[in-house]
Formats: sequence, C-alpha cells, structure tokens
Amino acid sequence: MSEGALAQGMSVLGRVPGVAFVLVALIAVFASMSPGFSTAPNLTNILVQSSILLLLALPMTFIIMTEGLDLSIGAVLTLGSVVLAAVALATGSLTVGFIAALAIGLAFGLLNGWLIAWLDIPPFVTTLGTLGVAQGLCLVITDGTSIVGLPSGLQFFYSGYFLGIPFPLVIAAIAYAVMHGILYHTRLGTYVPALGGNREALRHAGVNDRVVLAVIYGIGGLMAGIAALLLTSRISSAHPTAAIGMEFDAIAAVAVGGTQFERGEGWLLGTLLGVITIGVLRNGLNLLAMPSSIQVICVGLLVIVALFFDGMRKAQE
Amino acid sequence: MWTARSTLKFYVGKKRGRRSDDHLHEYRRGVAVPPFAICPVERMVGVTTMAPLKVDGDARAPLLELRGICKTFPGVRALDNVSFPIWPGEIHMLCGENGAGKSSLMKVLCGAYVADEGELFHHGEKIEIKSTLDARKFGIAVIFQEFSLVPYLSVAQNIYLGREFPGKVLGTIDRQKIRSEAQRVLGMIGSDIDIDAPVHTLGVAQQQIVEIAKALSQNARILVMDEPTSALSDTETEHLFGMMRRLKAAGVAIVYISHRMAEVFLLGDRITILRDGKKVATLLPDETSPGDLVQKMVGRKVDAIHRRGANIKAGEVALDVKGLSGPSGISDIHLNVRAGEIVGLCGLVGSGRTEVARAIFGADRVTAGEVTFFGKRFTGGPDEATRRGVALIPESRKLQGLALIRSVGDNIVVAALDRLFPSHVFHPGKAGKVAQAMIKKLRISTPSARRAVQVLSGGNQQKVVIGKWLTADARLFIFDEPTRGIDVGAKAEIFALMYDLVENGAAILMISSELSEIVNVCDRAYVMREGIIAGELSRERLSEENILQLGMHHE
Repeated sequence: MSEGALAQGMSVLGRVPGVAFVLVALIAVFASMSPGFSTAPNLTNILVQSSILLLLALPMTFIIMTEGLDLSIGAVLTLGSVVLAAVALATGSLTVGFIAALAIGLAFGLLNGWLIAWLDIPPFVTTLGTLGVAQGLCLVITDGTSIVGLPSGLQFFYSGYFLGIPFPLVIAAIAYAVMHGILYHTRLGTYVPALGGNREALRHAGVNDRVVLAVIYGIGGLMAGIAALLLTSRISSAHPTAAIGMEFDAIAAVAVGGTQFERGEGWLLGTLLGVITIGVLRNGLNLLAMPSSIQVICVGLLVIVALFFDGMRKAQE
Repeated sequence: MWTARSTLKFYVGKKRGRRSDDHLHEYRRGVAVPPFAICPVERMVGVTTMAPLKVDGDARAPLLELRGICKTFPGVRALDNVSFPIWPGEIHMLCGENGAGKSSLMKVLCGAYVADEGELFHHGEKIEIKSTLDARKFGIAVIFQEFSLVPYLSVAQNIYLGREFPGKVLGTIDRQKIRSEAQRVLGMIGSDIDIDAPVHTLGVAQQQIVEIAKALSQNARILVMDEPTSALSDTETEHLFGMMRRLKAAGVAIVYISHRMAEVFLLGDRITILRDGKKVATLLPDETSPGDLVQKMVGRKVDAIHRRGANIKAGEVALDVKGLSGPSGISDIHLNVRAGEIVGLCGLVGSGRTEVARAIFGADRVTAGEVTFFGKRFTGGPDEATRRGVALIPESRKLQGLALIRSVGDNIVVAALDRLFPSHVFHPGKAGKVAQAMIKKLRISTPSARRAVQVLSGGNQQKVVIGKWLTADARLFIFDEPTRGIDVGAKAEIFALMYDLVENGAAILMISSELSEIVNVCDRAYVMREGIIAGELSRERLSEENILQLGMHHE
C-alpha cells in the first residue's frame, strides 16, 4: 500500500511543472541572501509589480497556444498609456482616456488578428510590423518626451486599495478568473488549443477559424489597454518607451510556465507561476542591487533553465 | 419488417450466406488471414451488441447510390462513370492501385470534390453533395488517415468539437453534457476509452475509435475508412474489426479502402475494384480470389516486374561489414555487396533493416564492428560516407530525401555542390545543365527543371533522389523501401533504373518489405530477425518461402 502511495506521490510530483521547482528554489535563495525579501510588504510588492505582466501574459498564452505570437503587445501597451494620458489631458476626463486606451489596444489586436487570419501573414512578421507602428505612434504623439501633469485620481489604480487589497491585484485576479473561464468553459476557449493543434479539424467542424483567431488577438490588445491604465498610474505619467520590450517578459513567462509553441498545448496556471517567478527574480535581484541589464540576462537564463528541465522530463517520458 | 440483413439478402440473392467459419477455409487456402480473424465476433472480449440504428426513409433503397460519377482534372480523368450502390449494414471494400481513383471517390462522397457528371441517390432520392456540411447532413463521414482530432483537447471535447452544448450563460459550454453524451456514444460502440483523456495521450487505434465516435455522434450512417489498419498492431486491428462488425450489425454501411488482401476477404461483404478511374467490377468475396483481384486491379500491367536475369559479372567488394553492433538493437552484422550486384536486406518490419542501413552510413552510433567501403575502412558520419561515394536513399523520401518545395534542378545538384563547384561559388548555368542532363538520362517527367519536387508523382520523386546521388558520383546505393507509395508502372521504371546502375558498375543494397520484389530483383539477399542476420540466401535459394522461413520468429 505504501509503495502505491509513494508511486502515486511521485506521479503527482512528476506532473508539477519545472517552473514550480524553479520558483521555490528562487524564493529560498533570495530569502537567505537578503533579509528584506521575505517580508509581507515585499511579497505583496512582488505580486503588485507582476500584475501588469500578468495582464499581457494571459492573452499571450492563448495566442501562443494557437501557434501564434504577439510581439507588438509591449508597444501596444505603451501606446495605450500614451493615448490614455494624452486624451485625459485634452478632455480632462480619466474615463475618456481609459476608454481611448482600450479602443486603441483593441484596434491593434484586431488588426493583428485580421492580418494573420485573413491575409495569412505569419504572426511573427505581422506583430513585428505592428510593433514598429505602435512604437512610432508613441513617439509621434509624445514628441519623444513624457506626458506629465495627469489628474491625481489616477494614482489610485496602481497604489490604491479595494477592500484592503491592492487594486492592481484585484484587476489581476479578475483578469485571471475571466481568462480561465474563457479558456476552459466557453466555445471560444475550446477552439484555442484546436487552432494550434489541428486547424483543419476546426474548419471541418464548421467553425469560422479566422473569426476565432481575430477575437483572440483582439483580447490581447484589449488586455494591453487595461494594463495601460495600471502602467500610467504606476509612473503617474506616460512615457513613449515605458513598456517597450515587455513582450519579452510576457513570452518568457508563458514559455517558463510550460505552454508549448506548437500543437496547442498550454495551461493558464503555468503562466501565472511563470509571471510570479519572473517577478520574484527581478525583485530579488533588485534587492541585491543588481542593475536591470543583469536582470534581463537572468530572465533569459530562467527561460532556458525551465525549458531544459521540461525537455529532460519529456525525454524521460 | 425490413432489416439491414434481409435487405442485403434481397439484393444479392442466394450467393450470400457466408458464415464466419468460412474464413477458416480461406485461411487454409493460404490467404494470409491472421488467426484472430477466425474468432466470431460474439466470442470476442468486451463485446456489447449495438442496438440497430433508426433507418430514415425507404429501407429497400440503397443508403447511397452512385450513378455515373465523373470527375476530371486537367489532363486526368480521375473518375470515369463510376456507379455502385452502398447498402445499410454492409462493409464495402474499395480496391485499386495508387491513382485508381479511390481517393477521388472518397472526396466526392465527403463533399471535398464536386462531381462533374453523375448523380447521387440517398434512400432513392436524388441528392447533391457540394460541401462537407452536405455530406454530414446525409450521414456520410470519412475517417481520414490523418485524423481530424485536436491533441490537447479531451476525448469528449473532440467528439463534440464545433457542436458544443451551450451552457446557461451566453458563450459558455455545458461540459457535463458534453461528457455524458460522449460517454453514451462511446458506450454505444462498446469502447472504454476515458472521455477525459487528452487525445494526444491515446494510441493511433484509440484515436481512430474517437474519430468513429465523432462520426456516429453526427448520425453518420455511412463511414468511409481509408486504410484504417495501416498503423495498427494486431490486437488493435482485432478491436477495430470487432467494432466494425458491431456497427455493421446496427445497420451502418462501411466503405473500406484497403491494400491488404487478407482484410478484403475477411471483412468485405462486397468488393468494388477501380482501375484508372473506372469501376472494373463489384464482386462478392466468394466469386473471386486474391490473385483474380490483383489481376483486375493491375490489368495488363501485372507482369511489370520481370525476374532479372542471372548476374555473372560481380566485381570488387563495394561494401564489407564485419561484426557491426549498435545501441539501435543490431548485433554482429556481417554482410557484403559487390559492384554490379543488387543485394536484398529483408525481414519483418522492426527486424532492424533500416537500423543496419543507418549504422553502415554512419548515421547511427555503433559499438562494435567495422565497415569498409571499396576496400577502405570507414568510421565517419554521413557526410564522409557521401564523399566516399555512398548514397542512402531513405524510406521517407519526403522527409529525408528531398527538399520538397525546392526545384527538381536544385534537388539534383544539392549533394554534388562540392564536386561541381570546387571554388565554392555557385554557377546557376552549370547547375542547370547538369540537372537537365540528369532529367533526360533518368526520364524524369517534369515540365521543367525549375518545377518544385512536391508536384511530381511518387515515382518521379524517387527518380530525383536517385539523380541527386548519381550527380554526386555515388557508386554504392543503399535503398530503403524504394517503391513505397509508388504505383506498379513507376515501380518497373525504378527497377529498370536500378538494373542500369548495376550494369554500369554500381553496387546496390536494397531493403524491402515486398518479398516479391526481393525475389525478382535481387541477386542474393540477407534475411534479418530481431536485430541479427538470420541467414543469407543465394539466388538459387531466393524465394518468398525461404525468406519467411528465416525471418519468422520461432519460439
């Protein structure tokens, strides 16, 4: 009996993704190296800092599961932030600014989806192109400088609390719950692994695969628009390069979380773990006074290490 | 009351009435029917009988009747006036060579092609099938060799893909109902596959069952199956056959495409033979024999492969292998091939033939033994082997032998770039001339050297591979299943080419699963069994019986 229990325990352990081990190891290392790491305020801080990344990584998981990619998501987030600030300044209304950010995000997402689904341009090329467009628009709108002097009410969205919980965490939790619901409990979500795993099957089943694909990229843009609110609130201004390159962290989080780039294999909880792992890594390195250049190297290494472990385990199976 | 069975009796009269025992006679007659096949369905494990399915419309009319179906593509008459009925509760075998029109017929049935001429009748009523949706409406489902399943969705989700039951909230799905309905459909065909298992964890056989369940859940009454057993083990095949018999008993019609004689006679209620797009005949199994069937399938071409005349001028030893062993499961392999010889390497699938070829070529690691090419010891990898004039022509032409989207010309020169262009500067004109000469020499039928290889027929693709190695000055050719997926006519041409090669002093080691090819083409042959050379057969002793005798397992 105990042998069976052990075997069962081992098989449960075998299903734990590499990222979970890496996360635990990182927490142990940082906790022992810097006393400030394992305090409640710092751990909360890690989660709050991770919320923006989570908003990008969730739709990125969907997109990668369709065997796609969205390189433009960091630039679209930045553009959303810039548009939000510019519109809020011009109209004096944060709400209008936020709606504008959502609209520009959704527009870019649907544009990506349209180019990929109807014109059959590979996702890598499509989103590289829209990345350039979004980045350029940021510079055009801001003239290369920061937009400051935004209404003070803006700060609530990143620094405020809702029922005692930091507001960004509330947003992140809702976003996770909604995306989980979509992926596992709706038609749309059922078609996500089908798009990556066997698009022909979906077509044969009478599903309009193009519309589904466009909607998925659209969700990505929309989430970038929501993230723009948190980002702008965080720095109380909009800067044309604020989140440039953030697609790197988002794709890294998805990859570290165990979502594969082919056949439609992926899971949302892995992405959540991946986001937190990257958050822990960056926070820990910050506490150890490592410059951000070192952090980027470490995130890169993290991807390689996590995928190496997953690859080893797959090879064993 | 009309049942499917009585309908059939009505149709075929006294000639029906085979009992399951009849298969025993065929087995004794020497038709290679696997022993499990004699077991009557009722005695097979886990069998539940399926309730007869509801028959809509007039049960005395065929489920589907094809009348004068024609389909023409530029330059090809793919289907030429094909007519036959499909009755409920029958397994209708569709036989023919590659290119005989089986695939086109299948595509007409499932709505992928629209017939140019001819009519379809469903329960006696004229219908038109213009899309897969139409086909589904009339209960026709095709189980393709490449499955239409999504690897990372569960069995239940796959069965109801695109037809999810809506949940209470808009856009959501009722997962519980999907599960229970899937369970019901699988239960109907007596399958115990876990409905929650992701499809990628299932074996080929189970995936096939999911496909069948998916079709039945869409009320399919006609299942079209394209070589469903080609990737199955014996046990899996047995299960599939059991399931097919249950479906048949419930009134489902199965159109079954097969190249395996044993299956055709074991399962078929009727056999329709196609050749060059025309229907040759529809026969009852009792009216025909495997030999007769082959004759009808091939027509006049049956003698395409002549036994080669005895070879007397074997020259220097091109390949000498001594005591070769490796982690891929081969041990103590001794063999040699002389210039001017075609030597066969045969044995059951999995006996290690391909592994030997790869080890000789330096593509796999070896732990012991030595390989000598043309008198010189060889220890390098594939690139070194190529430089020494050795060519491995792999089994999966499309994956390993050719760059499909590149042109015929590019493929011909690619292995000879070092030789043709010692200065490492590519000269398109020279490459074009070399390619053109080779196209002419091998009679590769392509409109131009610039045409992509993927549009060529299997036989011509194989010629391009051979041309590639000839251009690279290869003198020792290792062919792994050179005629797989090639029709009889092209086979003869490939063999003629191989004879030409040895006439001109090349040496050939040929791996083949087709024993008749080994017997007719080779000067002598080695027979493998479980990773060892079980024996060598000289030309005098080379026969299918002797090969089987050496290659079979003796417990």
